[in-house]
Amino acid sequence: MMQLIGLHFAPGSNHQAEASLRIAADGKSLEVLGSNGDLLASAPRRHVTITSRLGGLRRKLEFPDGAVFETADNDGVDALLKGYSGSLSRLERSWQLAVTSLLVIAAGAAWFIYYGVPLGARWMAAETPLSLSRMITNQTLLAMDGKILLPTTLPLKRQREIQDRFRTIAGWEDRGTGRYSLLLRSAPHIGPNAFALPDGRIVMTDQLALMVQNNIEIDGVLAHEMAHVNHAHGMQSVYQASLVPAAIAFITGDASQFAQLAVILPAVLLQSAYSRNFEQQADDDAASLLRQHGEDPGQMANFLERMELKSCGKTGCGPSWLGSHPATAIRAARLRRAPAP
Amino acid sequence: MDTIPLTAPLAPAASVRNAMRFEGSAGEYFKIWIVNTALTIVTLGIFSAWAKVRSKRYFYGNTYIGSHAFDYHASPLRILLGRAIALGLLLIYFLTVAISPKLLGLWYLLFIVTLPWLIKSSLRFAARNTSYGNVRFDFAGTYWGALTAFLFWQLLATITLFSTLPLAHRARDYYMINNHSFGQVAFKTTIPAGKLYKIYLVGLALIIGALIAIMLPYGLMPNAKAHEVSWALSVGVSSLTTIVVVLAMPAFISAMTTNLALNNMQLGESFKFESTLSPDRMAWIVLSNLVATVATFGLLYPWARVRRARYMASCIAVTGPSDIGNIQSRLIPPGGAVGEEVASFFDLDFGL
Repeated sequence: MMQLIGLHFAPGSNHQAEASLRIAADGKSLEVLGSNGDLLASAPRRHVTITSRLGGLRRKLEFPDGAVFETADNDGVDALLKGYSGSLSRLERSWQLAVTSLLVIAAGAAWFIYYGVPLGARWMAAETPLSLSRMITNQTLLAMDGKILLPTTLPLKRQREIQDRFRTIAGWEDRGTGRYSLLLRSAPHIGPNAFALPDGRIVMTDQLALMVQNNIEIDGVLAHEMAHVNHAHGMQSVYQASLVPAAIAFITGDASQFAQLAVILPAVLLQSAYSRNFEQQADDDAASLLRQHGEDPGQMANFLERMELKSCGKTGCGPSWLGSHPATAIRAARLRRAPAP
Repeated sequence: MDTIPLTAPLAPAASVRNAMRFEGSAGEYFKIWIVNTALTIVTLGIFSAWAKVRSKRYFYGNTYIGSHAFDYHASPLRILLGRAIALGLLLIYFLTVAISPKLLGLWYLLFIVTLPWLIKSSLRFAARNTSYGNVRFDFAGTYWGALTAFLFWQLLATITLFSTLPLAHRARDYYMINNHSFGQVAFKTTIPAGKLYKIYLVGLALIIGALIAIMLPYGLMPNAKAHEVSWALSVGVSSLTTIVVVLAMPAFISAMTTNLALNNMQLGESFKFESTLSPDRMAWIVLSNLVATVATFGLLYPWARVRRARYMASCIAVTGPSDIGNIQSRLIPPGGAVGEEVASFFDLDFGL
């Protein structure tokens, strides 16, 4: 008759005594016997809660009255009470399975990074009501206007000219002129730049307007920003920024400060990688729109190269894997060989 | 809950000291963690509740004082339910706010009103599902207690320009420690305000030093804007300093405040605790853990957790007139188990 050696705890108490556990003569009950042979606890096996095996932890058999039999003999428990061993623990003890798990996690993470996050963000951005993106845009402008964005100082005639180009390009877009509006601002601290806000408002700085050498260059910039609006890239990056940490917290079950800090660096790198994809998509859309209407996207490439030369000198702007935009040389080459639709 | 003084079975002269120790191993936990994480991914997150329970059981079960270990008894289904409710509320929140942004204020109000309940509920859930030997812990904190400790004192600290921040900290510690009991024996700590103020002054000095360290790289490169590379470098150095500060400083300070709270804590009338966490050592462990975890794409995360648990356990000890493992106490009076279940039905783990 097989029996296990361990400790008996009285109900709800840490009073313990050496004891042994065996299956009773009826074959259905479990019995705990003291060292002097006294019966300390007894219950039908199905009423006894047996903790699942986990690492080298001692196993506990909890009787309905609160008494506990504890033993370090994990193999003994598994042998005596077949069916309680818990297949999970067997999985957790195998190095082969650990390696397999590693591959599953790597595949899952790769899928999530390449498809899951962009897909989820695209879906959420598409479902975002205009009222919310308008609110976010208002907040953004409120924070920037009067501080880093100042009223435009371009002559009225030039302003009208740019707005005319804007209306023309917007007319080429499927969604028509009502979907976008152009805000001209002077931004000495930002320099030459243009950016699209979530609700379709596009800001162009005076500094950029002063750098262009012909209106086709402006057309390229405007078409590029409208493409950002069309794809809701602004809202998408808001969602992307929150999806990665949320998923990591969910999967690791660790929402501590430690876990959050551990993902900052990967999250920043990922975010700029996603952003580079957006920029490329906007470049491609702009190039195809310009070609459709007989304009040369190469003009925009010239402009990008001039911008880089001005802001970073001849050495370029640092490694592209860190940046939010792809390297200018790559962008320019892609714009110049953009295929006709 | 009434405090029932311990009747010491031994002569008062005899004093027994038991050190806490952690007996888990990084290799063993690595396999448990990675298999459970893979299962969580394969089940699209549903298994995460089971994974959490196994992780907690591993850490509790390997933490010993004397001959007994701790244990975690929560049912994964209850944790899953708590998470499902939280997720459902989050979805409703997003939907209603998307439809009418004006509802945001209502949600904030609701959040503030329910926060004390969430805190109380989570603490009670955690306590009742934790045991040492065959005796469970309990938590008797109330909604109003949590409201006072977490909201009122925090608000007061903000109004007084953070000059009463240490008192808010003490109120939180009192709420969390003095409402806990082991079996029917209550925990009690009395934290001298002066010592807590001293710790916070050290923290303030560190923050000022850190701010200087963060700003320094910008100051050293006066025409940094002209050169993108040096600009990126100073941003990089600053961000690194920020991470170091954000991570190491709380570890440094919390080592001191934990020591203070535990060294003044007692269980019943006769069991005293000692905690000798070294602030630099804690800061170093947390920082190097982060570097190791990030550099190995998370592979050393289990090792980092085990390392931290092992160090913290090695700094804590209990002294009393008898072996703490022999405390005689009955938690659940016979027949009271049902009432307990009903009371705790509404307790859920929200991961607070």
